[in-house]
Amino acid sequence: MTKTSRSRVAVDVGGTFMDFVLLDETTGEVRIEKEASIPEELANQCLLGLSRLGIDLATLDQIFHGMTVGVNALVQEKGTRVGLITTKGFRDVLELGRGNRKEVYNYLYKGPPPLVERYLRREVSERLNAKGEVITPLDLAALDREVDYLVDEGVGAIALAFLHAYANPGHEIAARDRIAARYPKLAVSVSHELASEWREYERTTTTVLNAFIQPLVKNYLEDLTNVLGNAGYRKPLAIMQSNGGACDAHTAGEKPIRTLMSGPAGGVIGAKFLSDKLGYGNVICADVGGTTYDVAIIEGGKILERTETQIAGRPILGSLIDITSIGAGGGSIAWLDHRRGFRVGPQSAGASPGPACFGRGGTEPTVTDAHLVLGRLDPDNFLGGRMALDVAAARRVIEEKIAKPLGLSLHDAAEGILAIAETNMANAIRTKTVERGLDPREFMLLSYGGGGGLFAAGVAEELEIPRTMVPVAPANFSAWGILATDYIEDDARTKVMPFDRDHIGDILNTLGGLEDNTSKAVQSYGFKASEVAHYRRLDLRFKGQEYTITVELDANTRSDTTVLRSARRQFVDAHRQLYGHGDADAELEIVSVRCRAVGRVNPPTIAPLPVKGKTPIKTRDVHFREAGGFVATKIIDRDSMAPGVTIEGPAIVEEWTTTTLAPPGWQVTRDEYGNLMLEPRGERK
Amino acid sequence: MTKIDVVLTEIIRNRLIAATEEMAKTLIRTAFNPLLYEVQDFGVSIMSATGDLWAETPGCTIFSRALPDVIRNGIRRWGDAFKEGDVMIANDPYETGTHISDTSVYMPAFYDGELVAFCGSTAHWADIGGKNPGGWCPDTTDVYQEGICFRHQKLMAAGVKNQAIWDLIADNVRVPKTVKGDLEAQIACCLQGVERVKSLCAKYGVATVRASIAHVIKETDRAMRDAIAKIPDGEFGASIRLDSDGVNPNGEFLICLKAIVEGERVRFSLRGSSETAIGPVNLPAIGTIGTLASVLKGLLMPHDPTNEGHAMCLEFDLPPGLIVSPVRPAPVDSYGYCIECLTELMFRAFAGLIPDRCPAGGFQMFALSLARSDARYGDPFVMMDVVDGGNGGQPAADGATMMFIGNGDVPNIPVEVLETRYPVRVTEMEFAPEVAGAGKFRGGCGLRKDYLLLESGAYLMFTSENTKDPTAVGYNGGHTGAPGKMIVNPGSPNERVFKERTSGIGPFPAGTVLRAQSGGGGGWGAPKDRDPALVLADVRNGFLTVDDARRLYGVALTNAQGKWQIDASVTQKLRAA
Repeated sequence: MTKTSRSRVAVDVGGTFMDFVLLDETTGEVRIEKEASIPEELANQCLLGLSRLGIDLATLDQIFHGMTVGVNALVQEKGTRVGLITTKGFRDVLELGRGNRKEVYNYLYKGPPPLVERYLRREVSERLNAKGEVITPLDLAALDREVDYLVDEGVGAIALAFLHAYANPGHEIAARDRIAARYPKLAVSVSHELASEWREYERTTTTVLNAFIQPLVKNYLEDLTNVLGNAGYRKPLAIMQSNGGACDAHTAGEKPIRTLMSGPAGGVIGAKFLSDKLGYGNVICADVGGTTYDVAIIEGGKILERTETQIAGRPILGSLIDITSIGAGGGSIAWLDHRRGFRVGPQSAGASPGPACFGRGGTEPTVTDAHLVLGRLDPDNFLGGRMALDVAAARRVIEEKIAKPLGLSLHDAAEGILAIAETNMANAIRTKTVERGLDPREFMLLSYGGGGGLFAAGVAEELEIPRTMVPVAPANFSAWGILATDYIEDDARTKVMPFDRDHIGDILNTLGGLEDNTSKAVQSYGFKASEVAHYRRLDLRFKGQEYTITVELDANTRSDTTVLRSARRQFVDAHRQLYGHGDADAELEIVSVRCRAVGRVNPPTIAPLPVKGKTPIKTRDVHFREAGGFVATKIIDRDSMAPGVTIEGPAIVEEWTTTTLAPPGWQVTRDEYGNLMLEPRGERK
Repeated sequence: MTKIDVVLTEIIRNRLIAATEEMAKTLIRTAFNPLLYEVQDFGVSIMSATGDLWAETPGCTIFSRALPDVIRNGIRRWGDAFKEGDVMIANDPYETGTHISDTSVYMPAFYDGELVAFCGSTAHWADIGGKNPGGWCPDTTDVYQEGICFRHQKLMAAGVKNQAIWDLIADNVRVPKTVKGDLEAQIACCLQGVERVKSLCAKYGVATVRASIAHVIKETDRAMRDAIAKIPDGEFGASIRLDSDGVNPNGEFLICLKAIVEGERVRFSLRGSSETAIGPVNLPAIGTIGTLASVLKGLLMPHDPTNEGHAMCLEFDLPPGLIVSPVRPAPVDSYGYCIECLTELMFRAFAGLIPDRCPAGGFQMFALSLARSDARYGDPFVMMDVVDGGNGGQPAADGATMMFIGNGDVPNIPVEVLETRYPVRVTEMEFAPEVAGAGKFRGGCGLRKDYLLLESGAYLMFTSENTKDPTAVGYNGGHTGAPGKMIVNPGSPNERVFKERTSGIGPFPAGTVLRAQSGGGGGWGAPKDRDPALVLADVRNGFLTVDDARRLYGVALTNAQGKWQIDASVTQKLRAA
């Protein structure tokens, strides 16, 4: 199958809007559309947006879809009624959890309640040991009884989680097939198919969460596929997964747990694609939204990932892009705590009532109010003049709630709000980089999202990052990024054994099996075997340790000797980089093997801008703490800024959806592709 | 800096907290000892040059509260002789507040030649060379039996390794490789803190950092006083008697706590407590004071990051020689019982003052250690597992199960991991609802966990809970929860039940089943005030029998086509009676 498309569309569903980005491959032209995201009407809204783009769906080569149906159902706990079937003696694993409350001083702490009540958690006799050997055979008659009971209780899905199923899926497969034969239409989520890794609580919650949202997501995707098919779309629908790759609608409907970070992943894929093109290996990706600041890291050209995450305190196993989200954004509220300590966020005024300056009844001072009071935002030109901002209201709330109680001037209070928001953002980046032994000063900061340009230079200054980029159309960057997504399948297997000559054969066999599985899955999306690339990873640790470090094998490292040698070297180097010590010859242990198969999609083209003439510059007084007050500041319209031109700060670059700041001591350049580069000037470099 | 910059203050406070979080992560991720990476039996803190607590990330709350005292004792020992690159070690319980296995490692942080702060960690070592393996001595009679003692020796002097101390450690502990790994992890953790303090000084200057954090501490103290001032004045006392001290069958082991609230201060008196026990259940004074300060902070400001300011308005009346203020060389290895009892006593004392913040009594503590050292039976191993039970009912919710309240909390070990590591099979792990105390909001359940031993030769040690004077008392008419027990071969003719302290049983043959069953929490409020819908749900979910619903809660249920329903009229009559 050839993946050269002439036109393709990304549809990114957010909380308030659906973003559409159309890319015409032949001309490189990009068109953007927006529709309200109405929960019950998503498929039709999607069709409406596509028709507004004015394209013939029959000739469209690919629709990429970033969705929030699954994650919303989880967060709001509006999924289906689930029945859980476990090994005899272990139905309470789901409710017991792992202990270890994080709020150690909170004596009234309670963990999240189980999504399956105890009477809907049923046990069947069966047992494997840690090697996967059968200790007690599966009692199929008992299984029938328990499933009948659950069906009678009206469950909409069944989750199946047996002990040690990662070591031998035999009993789970037999149980799954038995249920399918008895109740062909009943949705069944099976633990080893979702996460073939050890730790029964984590694997069980992953399975239950999948079952909880599966009927909903499956129906939605079938509905969408039908609606698009009736409108003439003939190609497969590509669904964005949390791991930064796409899968088809069928897979996403069976394993929706993989799509929870569908939206934020798009921005990171876009960041990776853009930075590859421009030659940056180390990039901090920062998505500045209304309520959250999402950080991901690209190191040496690779997106850093993790193998587990949590939603509402419930763990989920599976590869995903390592995105850290903190409560800091345009709507973040400034407040004083019981110590009269000056805090910003994590609470947000959200879109409604929103910041005080929106005039929709907001009474708390927010980050956006601070920007407005300091003249960073133009009250008459917000969102291209679509929304007038109330400067007086912003001044009033900052004065009352912050400035007066702390004895600060209005402008010092507003500067303070921004400085604290910036350090919170910088701290999020610092934890992501420093804890991995990475120095943020060796990275480029790519700042996007609606507030990407306002919080670019300030955060970079705090972290001494030398170079910062605000990409084209930063508010739509995540949707654009989805266009650059490849098809990806991940699989993993827990395999605890010494990492030595005696066991390497077994380890490489297991890896080979994972390569076959993932490769077949990607081929089912329409790729030839020869078009599928593989990435193999090992989770290693020193014998006696608990935590592992993941190393990736080189594509050519295949023989027993080279795998042992090069993985050991990578592991010891990484341990030293992270923790400052590491014995080169100590015994190693392997815990899990991982494999990823990738089917490449042709990425969108990034075309240089036509060269324009002189850049018109206006001025406005804007407050900067570096300048000690209001200072005449250059105001530039982004679209009329000529490529290659460098403007010295203080300067503000305005565009329809966002504003970019170059404070005093900084300069801003528009590169040949239209990206804004921010750098400290002269001796500050 | 004369005028306090409120913005900068917030930034510096946040960065110090973030620094301790990084330190804790480094310790967990590099440790070799399950007590650290799994049970999180550790604490890390950053303190001023004089030992004031600046920021902490607790595993166990007592450690971060006691580390300032460790530093102050270190300053007494070394005066101003600290050098850049020094690493100190201290585990004398009389200087650290807990027991000898908990080893503090700390480093001074210098900037431009000036001592700015100390970064420290306290961690429970896998072994400390005491009479029993793994620092688990239930029957010692002096502290010398409990292990090798350090009092602020330098592991590194100005960056140069003091090899003699390292050799001494390696020659005195049973698992030298693990201990060395943990020690390196503790040093890596302190180094990380030192780096963060230095970069903070480089950015803002030493004077600004000091003044900012001093401001935070001052404001925290003020907020703490405001919170105390809102509590009505008065004296509230409570006491608990321990079953045993592990050695003396005839002794009395009473812990008495009186809290006196006066305006914006709280005075604690422990007078009336028994004198120091012969066995090791004593808690050093530093630990006693630290526990009380830490629990009061938790009751009044659970979500506030802890600093010195939370403990400045407290006074303690604690004469030496009590069970909660022993004098060297009294044994202290089982110090944890006292800490847990003090926590419960704090809830009891304050329940009348701030009823909405205090849960009813919880299970005391339940952990076991299964170990084999005789290589004739197979590879030696030490398996430690925590079997947390039920906590007290809350003013507006049932008590939590499998959570430890007394001193931090711990994650359990997944069964799939446990079975990979040790020759045991867990055949059952479930709620033990029958031990929960009934109440308007009932206590949390116990946990029942059965271990089938697959190989021979292992010995068992376990903690035991108070049976004569249980900790899990009900509040406001709630019922008391039942304590835990250990059962060998349950349900068989040779079943043996252990409720009281034993110093170790075994060796067991393969095929033995060990059942650990932790205690339940006390109820909050009278059972007859419980919402009948909750009683129905408990019956449906197997937390309560139909008979007990009627007997304890006055709720009558009928069964229609396999589904339970509330019989409203009978329930009304039962409850009116």
